[in-house]
Amino acid sequence: MSKDKTFLALADFLIPAHGDMPAFGSVCSFADAQKALDFRVDLKEGFDRGLDADPALSAEAHLEKLNKEDGAAFSAVTTVAICTYYMNPRVRELLGYPGQESVQYDSKATQIYLTDGSLGHVLARGRKYRPTPGL
Amino acid sequence: MNVESLSERGARARRDEEVDVAIVGAGPSGSVAALHLARAGLSVVVLEQGEWPEYNDYTGARPEHELVSTKLWHPNPNVRDNPNDYPVDTSTTDINPLMFAGVGGSATLYGAQWMHFLPSDFRVRSLDGVAEDWPFTYEDLLPYQLEIEREVGVSGLAGDPAFPPRGPYPFPALPMGSVGLRGALGMERMGWHWWPGSNAIPSEKFGELNACVRRGTCLTGCPEGAKSTTDRSHWPLALKAGARLVTRARVKEVETNEQGLATGVVYVDANGRDRRQRAKVVILCANGVGTPRLLLMSGGAKNPDGLANSSGMVGKRLMMHPFASILASYEDPLDSWRGPFGQQVYSLEFYESDERRGFVRGSKWNCMPSGGPVGMSGAIGSKVYVAEEGRFQDFWGANLHENVARRFGHSLIWGIVGEDLPEEDNQVVLSKDLVDSDGLPAPQIVYKVNENSNRLLQFNIDRCLESVHAAGAIETLVSTPVRESGWHLIGTTVMGDDPKRSVVDQWGACHDVPNLYIMDASTFPTSGATNPTATIMAVALRNTRRMIAERRNQKVA
Repeated sequence: MSKDKTFLALADFLIPAHGDMPAFGSVCSFADAQKALDFRVDLKEGFDRGLDADPALSAEAHLEKLNKEDGAAFSAVTTVAICTYYMNPRVRELLGYPGQESVQYDSKATQIYLTDGSLGHVLARGRKYRPTPGL
Repeated sequence: MNVESLSERGARARRDEEVDVAIVGAGPSGSVAALHLARAGLSVVVLEQGEWPEYNDYTGARPEHELVSTKLWHPNPNVRDNPNDYPVDTSTTDINPLMFAGVGGSATLYGAQWMHFLPSDFRVRSLDGVAEDWPFTYEDLLPYQLEIEREVGVSGLAGDPAFPPRGPYPFPALPMGSVGLRGALGMERMGWHWWPGSNAIPSEKFGELNACVRRGTCLTGCPEGAKSTTDRSHWPLALKAGARLVTRARVKEVETNEQGLATGVVYVDANGRDRRQRAKVVILCANGVGTPRLLLMSGGAKNPDGLANSSGMVGKRLMMHPFASILASYEDPLDSWRGPFGQQVYSLEFYESDERRGFVRGSKWNCMPSGGPVGMSGAIGSKVYVAEEGRFQDFWGANLHENVARRFGHSLIWGIVGEDLPEEDNQVVLSKDLVDSDGLPAPQIVYKVNENSNRLLQFNIDRCLESVHAAGAIETLVSTPVRESGWHLIGTTVMGDDPKRSVVDQWGACHDVPNLYIMDASTFPTSGATNPTATIMAVALRNTRRMIAERRNQKVA
């Protein structure tokens, strides 16, 4: 089996369709995974090793074997799969995740804990610290 | 002048030039010392083994952030595998030390949680009968704490009844966000202490620091230039005052003369060549692992057990703050990828000793967002929430989607920092077989989490679970002690009045080598339970002011 088909088979086992969420292969490609891998060249060797599959094994059996015998390859394949998936714009849209966004705010705005009495309760409970002995 | 142009500034001292002060390390303490010494008119050279931060390399605003940061910005140098760092032999430790080599130091990857030590932290022997009192008090240090806060640009809300009365913070507290409000709700329902987070992240523009935009990637470098690190808060001013900074300069030895006085340092430059920097005074600011490592490497034939080590205490009493974390998920959305990641809320409810609990000293809790979907999957990354015995199928397939749906955007993390008591068996030694990229021996960490810490963490975990459930948590995941949590490297060249039991005096001067100073957290007699950077910088400022005032009385080679 070619490396791209092997990877997609493994990735679809790891990340199948579930509820509203799509399977890996329905939103991401092998090319997407390779682009992700460009950000983590340290994973390339393990990734390539991880795709060197015995055609007689199912995706689950192959992953089980990798997990037991070659942790670095297992980690490379799964890391690339999950990061590629959650970098996908459609997946992020379904999750409601805009990424690590910038949020503007008014630094001088009165915070709710100052007006709803909650911080007042903390103050009312009194001093917590032990003072320096002898002072 | 802007930060981006700074790497072009500062030059190596002329060959054989003797400067007034050579400082090893451009992190929080070294930067404070450099700025104030240069302003006082002293000639200062700082040798930093790392480089200037490249802000374009901070990926927080880009889609690949979670993929890249688990390697490039991992706090463990053994994972990061950057030749500017040194490796650490962690085969004999329960907790991995975390650090970063570069201008700004390990704070480059800190959460910027800004907490003073409390009055009792300086008097643990007097109050609790354990460890040692510090040679000075909370009140002695407070003026320096407040001055450092103004230099750093801290945001926070004064009036916390867990501290003695103090003046205002320079900037208003950052917004709590839904995460902080939910964390506070649990504490409020339990009737326990909480307070809006104080962070070394200005909520308004301040000098070279931009206002925080709640990007939420503080722990992996702030792409906004809003998290306060000394490459932005101190170095622009220090260079302007005349301090010189040499990057990619790995100090391998502190040299001394026949009289036992420091004469300078030898370092390996960016081209792998040995260079010598002569100095009247040497200051070590290389953290609680790097500083004892350098002293142990510097003994030579005259001091086979290491320089400044007649007490035998160099490297001993390592404290790293055993840490537990509780991830709590809720039905309703908390937008829990939003920052600040530092601390949106903290609690000092269980900070002080209570003998009924079965342990001494206490803890600080900080409430943080839980981050992006990859981290919440439990499948890769820190693996904090992955059971060691877990089958891989438990984190993949339908379980992956369900875990992410339940946790991502709906969860918060309480971090529990426990005070670590000093024990001489917990120590930094030189590895016999691991070396850094220049062939210098790596440090080896020998460290066990002690019984007091285990009891302390379990008590606090139990209380924290009560709090998050009081606020409606539908799922909780506990990790204790977190192996990748050795952020705070403390105690390995302890300060004290007795040269037989301590390495430096209260001003950071080595008992054995009076013109060799240590100004990082290595000198702390005890660890407190708060994040130590605020205290590190304040102690460095206090020591530096004293050095300036006493400069004419300073014994030099």
